[in-house]
Amino acid sequence: MSDLKDRLLKELSNSVVDMDEVKTIEIAQNFVKHNLDAYEAIDKGLASGMERAGKLYEEEEYYIPELMMCSDAMYAGLDVLKPHLGKNEGGHKHKVVIGVVEGDTHDIGKNLVKIMLETSGFEVVDLGRDVPPMAFIERAKEIDADIIALSTLMTTTMENMATVVQILKDEKNNKIKVMVGGGCISPGFANKIGAYYASDASKAVKMARSLVEKTIVC
Amino acid sequence: MLADKMMPMERARALAKGEMVDRLPCNPNVANGVARIYGCKISEFNTSARTIANAQIASYRRFGYDGVRIFTDLFPWAEAMGAEINFPDDNTANLAKPAINDISGIFNLQPADPYRDGRLPIHIEAMKYLIDELGDEVGCAGGIVGPFTNAFFLLGIENLIKLMFKNKEVVHRACEVSLETCIRYVQAIIDQGLTPTISESMSSCTVVSPKHFREFGAPYIKRLVQYINSKGKPVTMHICGKTAKIWEDVVAMGIAGFSIDNVVDLKQCKEQIGDRVKILGHVDPSAILYAGTPTDVRRAVIECVQQAWDAPKGYVIMSGCSLPVETPFENIEAMMDTAREIGYPVDPEKLNKMLSGHNYSFSRYNE
Repeated sequence: MSDLKDRLLKELSNSVVDMDEVKTIEIAQNFVKHNLDAYEAIDKGLASGMERAGKLYEEEEYYIPELMMCSDAMYAGLDVLKPHLGKNEGGHKHKVVIGVVEGDTHDIGKNLVKIMLETSGFEVVDLGRDVPPMAFIERAKEIDADIIALSTLMTTTMENMATVVQILKDEKNNKIKVMVGGGCISPGFANKIGAYYASDASKAVKMARSLVEKTIVC
Repeated sequence: MLADKMMPMERARALAKGEMVDRLPCNPNVANGVARIYGCKISEFNTSARTIANAQIASYRRFGYDGVRIFTDLFPWAEAMGAEINFPDDNTANLAKPAINDISGIFNLQPADPYRDGRLPIHIEAMKYLIDELGDEVGCAGGIVGPFTNAFFLLGIENLIKLMFKNKEVVHRACEVSLETCIRYVQAIIDQGLTPTISESMSSCTVVSPKHFREFGAPYIKRLVQYINSKGKPVTMHICGKTAKIWEDVVAMGIAGFSIDNVVDLKQCKEQIGDRVKILGHVDPSAILYAGTPTDVRRAVIECVQQAWDAPKGYVIMSGCSLPVETPFENIEAMMDTAREIGYPVDPEKLNKMLSGHNYSFSRYNE
């Protein structure tokens, strides 16, 4: 039995890495059919596949298109498994409000960060693209978010990231941490505006984890 | 600001002949920030050729850099082929909706007519004003987005990415019709007497793999470069982000110059391809030019020159990508002044001294 489970978990992970949507669905269905734990399939199958894909991306074996295809496969598997999750899974989840800042409509990077955060246990509210600074703050307060994650690809819109940080600073709201990333963003820029920087999706997850852990310690 | 002893055109001609010049060419790549210098809104560029040209001219006159270009955003070609564009009041245009939403629309895609469609006629008119006014003193370029990058805006970025795996034919078809638009537009640039430059941002290894670039991007971009060369014009290409893995492919297309992003190793780039193409780059437009101080800019320019001044086919001090609109003027001035301070021929000893010494020269400029 556990041999079967281990085999299916491995296959699930592989099918995500191999960008094979159809196969991912098949294996997920097979998993459910054998009454195996859906949460485990997500955690040790799909998420493990995404994590491996993320590693391949860091090693420049995979690129953004490959990651997107992997995430499509992962989401397809997720759709099969989700209805079979128990109700009390997870417990308290840290919350992130994510979006692309106003003036920019490139959202590939943001979508990847969102997926990676979700698969690693964060609850993510996605405001989409071209989002005004105040919208991030209002939503973050509404859901009591731990982190606001801002993305932009274009140098022309970086100013809006600084605005978000500045509003929080003006309100003396230092509970909400701001993470920034995107093609044109550098550690120097993040530092200047008082935000945390992540250079890619998997580093964003590590950064988010360390930020919420710090919050707990404080 | 320090004064130049030569006009950019004079400098370029002398360099080409291997003669003495006053300094290395330097192009901060001011982009839509020219609106801040001229004092107009960026959205005025969408309707007024005169304003585009005037803003370019004003910025050139203020800083004295070595190249002006008509290029307002990445989308006029996709727009002319049916894409919908957002035009913010005072910021750079961005893509609202690709030209086709469904791949069944692929056969309806038609190449654009540069004299009729979208904003292209405005850009061509602006080129005329630019070359009339500045053609004798500085190199005038018409910018175009390459056929592969433009295809992303025709099909939608995420769509095209998925189609590279699922329906290659559609991607090729989009690149082909995109190339036809590019060829017509570069012909228009050449007809106005300007030199084309190609921006191929989506070819970047930060976006697609070298394998996909070779399959879908390179064949079409190469045909565009060959077309330009067949008209007796050289062409410079810029690709954002990481590019090391595709340098050889790009050089093999027959480009004359390659402009690199600041994430790339400039020295390595010079060593690998500097014997075949001119290298342009790569002061960080975001951390240094936008967010840094004039002192940071000075240091970054010197460090770039240290890495690439001896490039066999020549080197141009440039930013790694178009400057953010709100880049402080004093940083652009600092970039130009550092090029002037370095002078020519470049003396590596002097560069070392400039880096280690205190910034006495800067306090002098800032007066």
